Amino acid sequence: MNSLDLILMSLSNLWRRKVRTILTVLGVLIGTMSITLMLSLGFGINISFQKSLERMGSLNVIQVYNYNGGGYYAMDVVKVGGSDSEQPKLDDATCEKIANMDGVQSVLKMLTTSVKMGSGRYIAWVQLMGVNPEAMEYFDFEVDQGRLLTVNDTNAIVFGSDVPMNFYNPRDRRGGYWGWSANQEPNVNVLEDRLILTFDMNYGEPHQTPIEGGRRPKRYNVEGVGLLSWEGSQNYSWYAIANLDYVKKLIKENERLQGGGRRRPTSADTTYSQIKVRVKDMNKVVDVQNAIKEMGFQTYSLMDQMQEIQKTSRIIQAVLGGIGAISLLVAALGITNTMIMAIYERTREIGIMKVLGCLLKNIRQMFLIESGLIGFIGGVVGGGLSIGASYLLNKFLAPALMGRMGYGVQVEKISIIPPWLLLATVVFSTFVGLISGYSPARRAMKLSALSAIRTE
Amino acid sequence: MQEAAVAKNTYTETENIIEIKDLRKVYKVGSESVVALNNINITIKRGEICCFLGTSGSGKSTLLNMMAGLERPTKGTIRIAGWDIDKLSEKKLAIFRQNHIGFIFQSYNLMPFSTALENVAMPLIFRGVSRRKRTQMAKEMLIAVGLEDRMLHKPSEMSGGQQQRVGIARAFVARPEIIFADEPTGNLDSRTSTEIMNMIVDMAAKHNQTLIIVTHDMNVAKYAHRIFHMLDGDIEKIEECI
Repeated sequence: MNSLDLILMSLSNLWRRKVRTILTVLGVLIGTMSITLMLSLGFGINISFQKSLERMGSLNVIQVYNYNGGGYYAMDVVKVGGSDSEQPKLDDATCEKIANMDGVQSVLKMLTTSVKMGSGRYIAWVQLMGVNPEAMEYFDFEVDQGRLLTVNDTNAIVFGSDVPMNFYNPRDRRGGYWGWSANQEPNVNVLEDRLILTFDMNYGEPHQTPIEGGRRPKRYNVEGVGLLSWEGSQNYSWYAIANLDYVKKLIKENERLQGGGRRRPTSADTTYSQIKVRVKDMNKVVDVQNAIKEMGFQTYSLMDQMQEIQKTSRIIQAVLGGIGAISLLVAALGITNTMIMAIYERTREIGIMKVLGCLLKNIRQMFLIESGLIGFIGGVVGGGLSIGASYLLNKFLAPALMGRMGYGVQVEKISIIPPWLLLATVVFSTFVGLISGYSPARRAMKLSALSAIRTE
Repeated sequence: MQEAAVAKNTYTETENIIEIKDLRKVYKVGSESVVALNNINITIKRGEICCFLGTSGSGKSTLLNMMAGLERPTKGTIRIAGWDIDKLSEKKLAIFRQNHIGFIFQSYNLMPFSTALENVAMPLIFRGVSRRKRTQMAKEMLIAVGLEDRMLHKPSEMSGGQQQRVGIARAFVARPEIIFADEPTGNLDSRTSTEIMNMIVDMAAKHNQTLIIVTHDMNVAKYAHRIFHMLDGDIEKIEECI
């Protein structure tokens, strides 16, 4: 018996019992739909978590701190943890070592200090950050206007998007801060106006506090060359960013002035408060992170959170998928029931076929094809309807859910059906059909031909 | 297939097509044993028309079922067209039935949801004959039994006689060497019975096919070359007709 005849015969048998076939298919359809939709909700949750994490920064960036070995701002004079030589130091040698690790793409050294900036009547307290410019392109520095730093820059500064709002007029009786929400231009155009930078915290203040010891810090002329975008560089929005070597030089000069000529090791020479490490392959982030931890540093990456979230969403998916699976299980029972009924009805026909020389194998195949087809059709139609239902969920339910999931979780799509899921659904439901039909098919095969044809 | 092929080589046209030796069949009903066939020894030649005549319970149907490979003997051997029926596996029995046997039943046993044409073509489907060829063969067969205007009718739309003619067409369509007819006229009136019997015998004779009829009806038995009178699981006497 060739396979085309076998399939045609199975199809005509299904067609003969239209209503029952349709009802059984309907059961499978509901089962596959609920599994697909439940899983799609799981994927949707997963991806919206992931997206909101990504907006906080890249997933393959590791932040490295050094709390034990003297992690502090360069202005700090006293070392927090003592100068134990055993403690790892976040210095250039360490950076070099990390940069040479397997999978590391780039290392961003960050040296931060507080300065005051001025432009005409306006002044601002600013966090000045020295970075190695060649690494900037790897760490989410995105300019809105102007350009990023280059290795040859000295007094060039790239401003975080919120820094220009800090400039205020200290003699303005209304307080002077540029309003947060006002739609007015900042007081200072950091890219065009003349800017100075100083460690002198009294600079521009109407009320001067006397300086204890040391000399008055110098004032430096600096030039704004770029303004970072808010969306792309949220993490740096409050920093003024300059070339690392330039910041080191400023700190050293200031310490010399403040220290009254006394020589001591300056922190700017040795350690960074924080560095960032970018790993090329997201899958290697954990390895690199562990290696850095072993060196004795504190690390943090969004991967930490990501893993937690993945764990949670895996549980959510398992629960949702389980609920769907129950309905498919019920559908499977429906298929078995339908097939057993079919055997009772067709006992005589099966007997006739056997007497006419139909191979047992063919009888079993015929029943398996019928139950498999029920599963397959249910899977295909269920998959198709799932796409539609998913679209409706995203269109009508997602906006309603928006804003209920807390800050930072942006709900765009709550239901996502990847193509492989559709394929898996069809394969799975067909498989369920075959499994459900297996025992009825065996039963049909084993029917005694003689007693079957005697059935009236 | 190998052993069947070897067995076939030893069989020639002149030999007996059916050889039954020491055949015995005992049914176990609860703790009691019922002897359906006692000790049967028969040989039947190719092209012969034989009739097993007996009352119900004489064992004639059991004998037919065993010749068709539908039941296994308790003891003894059955050799048909070179195949040892009693030793074949289920799969080989199915192939044997496909290639050597046609069946005509008392209650027609047609597929109720298939047309006459589809019913007649069914044995050919199992043999793997292409759709075009088997439709062609089934049409010719239906024309031969005089149902050219009923080809697309379902069994429920036909009279008993017409249904049995579909049954005959189905039995003969694959040109089997042996046709088994189990009470072929049991459900028909006497006029139709005569028609049907004439048709079966003519068709079998035309292609030198062996015809085995099982019946309790003397009127049917008289079409046979030889009549085996059966009683209580034994062949009581063999009657040769001219």
